[in-house]
Amino acid sequence: MVINVKLTNLLAYSSLVVRRVSHLGKHHGDFPYQLLLSKPTPLFHHKKQIQTVVPSTSTKNVTVPVENTPTADSLVRLDLEGLYEDIREGLSETQPELKLIAQYYFNGEGKAIRPVITMCMARAINFHLDQNTPYVLQKQKKIAQIAEMIHTASLVHDDVIDVADSRRSRPSVNIVWGQRKSIIAGDFILAMASKMLARLQNKQVIILLSQVLADLVQGEFMQLGARENKDERFAHYSEKTFKKTASLIAYSCQAVSVLSGADSTLQAVAFQYGRQIGMAFQLVDDLLDFIATSAQLGKPVAADLRLGLATAPVLFAAQKFSELNPLILRRFQEPGDAETAFRLVLRSDGLQRTKDLAHQYCNDAVTQIAQLTPSPYQQALVTLAHQLLHRMK
Amino acid sequence: MASRNCLMRLKTFQLSSFNPPNGIAFSRGFGASPPVFQIKWLQAVSHAEKVVGNPTFLDLESVTSHEISNMAVYLKNLIKTGHPLTSTVKELLNPKAKKDLTRGLLVLLVSKAGKHKANEDILPNQRKLAEITEQIHTAHIIHSGIINLPTPNENLEKGNKMAILCGDFIQSRSSIRLAEFKNIKIIELFGQAIADFSAVEFIDEDTYCALDLWTQKTKMRYGTLLSNACQSTLILGGDMDLLESAKNFGLEIAFAWQANIDLQSYKSTTKKEEHILTKLFPPGTPFEEILLIFEAVRDKHINASLEILAKFPQNDACLALCDIAKALNY
Repeated sequence: MVINVKLTNLLAYSSLVVRRVSHLGKHHGDFPYQLLLSKPTPLFHHKKQIQTVVPSTSTKNVTVPVENTPTADSLVRLDLEGLYEDIREGLSETQPELKLIAQYYFNGEGKAIRPVITMCMARAINFHLDQNTPYVLQKQKKIAQIAEMIHTASLVHDDVIDVADSRRSRPSVNIVWGQRKSIIAGDFILAMASKMLARLQNKQVIILLSQVLADLVQGEFMQLGARENKDERFAHYSEKTFKKTASLIAYSCQAVSVLSGADSTLQAVAFQYGRQIGMAFQLVDDLLDFIATSAQLGKPVAADLRLGLATAPVLFAAQKFSELNPLILRRFQEPGDAETAFRLVLRSDGLQRTKDLAHQYCNDAVTQIAQLTPSPYQQALVTLAHQLLHRMK
Repeated sequence: MASRNCLMRLKTFQLSSFNPPNGIAFSRGFGASPPVFQIKWLQAVSHAEKVVGNPTFLDLESVTSHEISNMAVYLKNLIKTGHPLTSTVKELLNPKAKKDLTRGLLVLLVSKAGKHKANEDILPNQRKLAEITEQIHTAHIIHSGIINLPTPNENLEKGNKMAILCGDFIQSRSSIRLAEFKNIKIIELFGQAIADFSAVEFIDEDTYCALDLWTQKTKMRYGTLLSNACQSTLILGGDMDLLESAKNFGLEIAFAWQANIDLQSYKSTTKKEEHILTKLFPPGTPFEEILLIFEAVRDKHINASLEILAKFPQNDACLALCDIAKALNY
């Protein structure tokens, strides 16, 4: 029976006792169990508090998802059908060459993880609030589109800045059209996204997504600078990670909840899920940058190191091997730096601690989303967190 | 390359009669001396600045001092790389350079011109909008200065990187500040402006004839931004009856201003063959002819601006705008 399965599920992954929360914008009459806000951990004291302490490796609440649980992307596949066509359509009313460049990265080849999370959150919140108005869903789909456009425009700029040569197995925009046109095309995509955003006619949503833009740029600037003081470095890395990766997901989740009619408490739940998942996402990526390369021949060092970036594994390793600190400061510029750093990271517990931190973020995301009325969508968001952790194996 | 059609249209254009209503005759040949223009121009601009309260914020300082980005440092780094944007950036960082007309100043003037009552002053929101307009234009100039590097060049790459980030920073700050107005129409108008000036880069030049190309490019690159900014400021001021006029004025003054800038640089350049104005016309077109055509274009737009200004309340801001428009004529 469906309800029993859901019950088992909840009890399985929440080791906490639950109590009804009526202030979450909806009154639950029917459910026998109760939901409690989990004990606040340093990770979600305040909406925007950045993790400044390295958390200890606490018990990992990872449980196996129930079989046959539909995944997030299968659930929202219909909603997102035509997402990329719609984006391309929105970028088509312009000079032919610009149309080509603007549409180049919207060929649907990417993982579309952001639209999936956004739509799944939208559905989960709608279910929680009993929100069934078609035009709300329409607007939420637009958020998914806009978020994807903002993300892609930032990829275009990143590729020029990083002098990339390929993305998703194709030559990157800057290789095909040159730096100048690529940057300007990125500006164009953003301008069209802001027009679409305006047409949603929701002032709060406009402000939320404008904040994303600022965060993305600030994240880039933060990446340029290295903190002298090694004690500040992890905080700097966390804040940069929020701005570059988690911000977009967090604000998109909050935006769709706003459209659904969520009050500020429920909006905070949506925001925090997006934020924690986003942070975990980046940590997993940073980890894989080390693991994946060691498994492949002919690719000696992590790409991040080559770009001069000190990510979580390196920062953790530096706590064991202080000789890494000067290398971090000079951004691995000297010959042999990247190789040395790579070796030391593998010798240290840097990778394990990164994994543990990712677990912590995922658990918090799950705890947040557990506050919503159970639904296939809510469950899928839980599964998503588990799948993310699974990538690290 | 102009086709036969284009050539014929050119000739027709030259022959068509021009009756400027205010009796402003267009100057002939190379008579106009740059120094005269300079004086009249600077006078008009300086007077206009007084009318709107000598704005001192229309420069990059408020943006470059922002903690997170510390943009002034990055811009100085850009200068060190010898990037082509160097002179532009130096000007931007120099607060004393602001003697020339700026978009921000025009928006402030239009804000004031739209006031029906004599004691009404420019609203703080309108001042903010003027600043945003100027900054969006600045971001565009910076991004337009990015150069293609087919072969790796560490220094110039670094310069490009600074240019990209600084442009992005200004742009994103402007977006947030625009959102703070909580006005859907204004956000759409500026989105359109940015889309237009971005798209200029990609215009297929072959689809336009000589003058049409200049008109189209100028409209997209400069016209939309000014026109939409003028509209936006009157929306903020609640002067809805003058919206259409503001929109048209913004466009006309943008044309007149740019025509004059192009003309002045054309007159003073020693390499006329390589000038953008020359490239609009079939090779071999005499320079005097090009000059005449563009002076006519400029005057047409100056007159159109003046006609529209007649619809505004005739206060000191409106008159200052008239003076600026007329000063473009030298």
